[in-house]
Amino acid sequence: MRRRAGLFGVLLSLLAASGCGVTSSGLDVRYPEAGVKRAMLASAPPRRIEIAPVADRRMETARIGSRPKGGGDIVTSRPVTDIVGEALAVEIRKNGHSVVSDRTDVVLATAVEEFRLDVVAGYSATQYVGRVVIAVAVADPRSGDKLLTRTYVGISRRRVEKDPDSNWRDVMDVALARAMHDLATDPELATVLSRLLTAFNP
Amino acid sequence: MLRAFTVVLALATLSLSGCASSAPPPRPSARPFDDLRRVTVVVSGESAFSIADYPVEPGRTFDEVLKWIPWLPYRTALGPAAKLVHQGINWVLGANRAATAAPSLDGVSPRSVVAAAMARTLKASGWFDEVLTLEREPSGEDRRRADAIVRVSVPAWGLVRVREGEPGVFSGFADVRGQMAVRGTGVIVWEDSQDVTNPEQIPVDAFLRDRAFARQEMADVLERAGERLANELLYARGAGR
Repeated sequence: MRRRAGLFGVLLSLLAASGCGVTSSGLDVRYPEAGVKRAMLASAPPRRIEIAPVADRRMETARIGSRPKGGGDIVTSRPVTDIVGEALAVEIRKNGHSVVSDRTDVVLATAVEEFRLDVVAGYSATQYVGRVVIAVAVADPRSGDKLLTRTYVGISRRRVEKDPDSNWRDVMDVALARAMHDLATDPELATVLSRLLTAFNP
Repeated sequence: MLRAFTVVLALATLSLSGCASSAPPPRPSARPFDDLRRVTVVVSGESAFSIADYPVEPGRTFDEVLKWIPWLPYRTALGPAAKLVHQGINWVLGANRAATAAPSLDGVSPRSVVAAAMARTLKASGWFDEVLTLEREPSGEDRRRADAIVRVSVPAWGLVRVREGEPGVFSGFADVRGQMAVRGTGVIVWEDSQDVTNPEQIPVDAFLRDRAFARQEMADVLERAGERLANELLYARGAGR
């Protein structure tokens, strides 16, 4: 009898964990390092880049969206500032630069303007719209002067007939990746990083 | 006892099976193509304009009515029919809205706007010596001078609802495809498709009423689509460097 109760307990635990972390601990949004490539940012000579703590400038910071039909909040498993900061560090490193905290050539001050998942539940289909808006300011570490200010907007839209939770994370992953790809292929950002050569190492 | 354990194991496996579906979408294919310095961007395919809403009515009302039918076989048989009627009614409503918007967008060629924006972005990258845009497949000297041909299509564009609630909030959208083929061999070195949505969120009534506003909204999203495609091509090209 006791053994049967134990099995029942195991079963309940497994069922509780079956949401893959979506319902209890939130979406594990990530920018997978394996997919990151050397892009335009790599055309600048290797730089020592400091990523200042990412600021959260969202209107609503407690959640990234709401489940359809009043089903509660959608949240991420980690703070969105950590997710964005990590993605930025991966992109910069992969493009041949170093992420450092001392003797920096340049400082990247980043703010998350939006990190949001909208769910539009129709009669037979559901549409997800993920939005990631990141403001990046490139600053001179000595003078604090801003050398460049850019905003990268990644949006992903998906329509599905059913409503598996896994779509939520995928949509946000793609939105984040698009914002990062826009950053990595931004010729102005690459130019600013290249020009540092003449500014600090004449 | 063994049977109980098997049941538990089967249930556990079933409960965890949803995790496998969270794999990221397939990545666009890419091969190194550093030596392709002169590209021609060509428009291709057809484009369909639509205003995509996701209404729950009248389908929800049909469902409520069906619940009152006591005979299960009838209820089961009428369910799919109700779904079809729901789709039909909303298709007609959507088509009417699209027809209302169409005069405002006269002369806007989505493929041309996307191709021009893509070409501008590729040129600005400095990674290509020459980027041409053509409305048709290149021939003669135009074809000979190109290292590669990028074909761009916009199968769907228009407005799409991006938030729930009333009044409806919409954004411009463009679903675009791009493919880069080496001239002469026809080898495809890059292809990608992107669902592009304008960051701006607008009321659909304003779009239908104001011609200039509608044109601007669509021009913005089409240019964004061209830039997105170009950025993904540049990102893929970086792989070979």
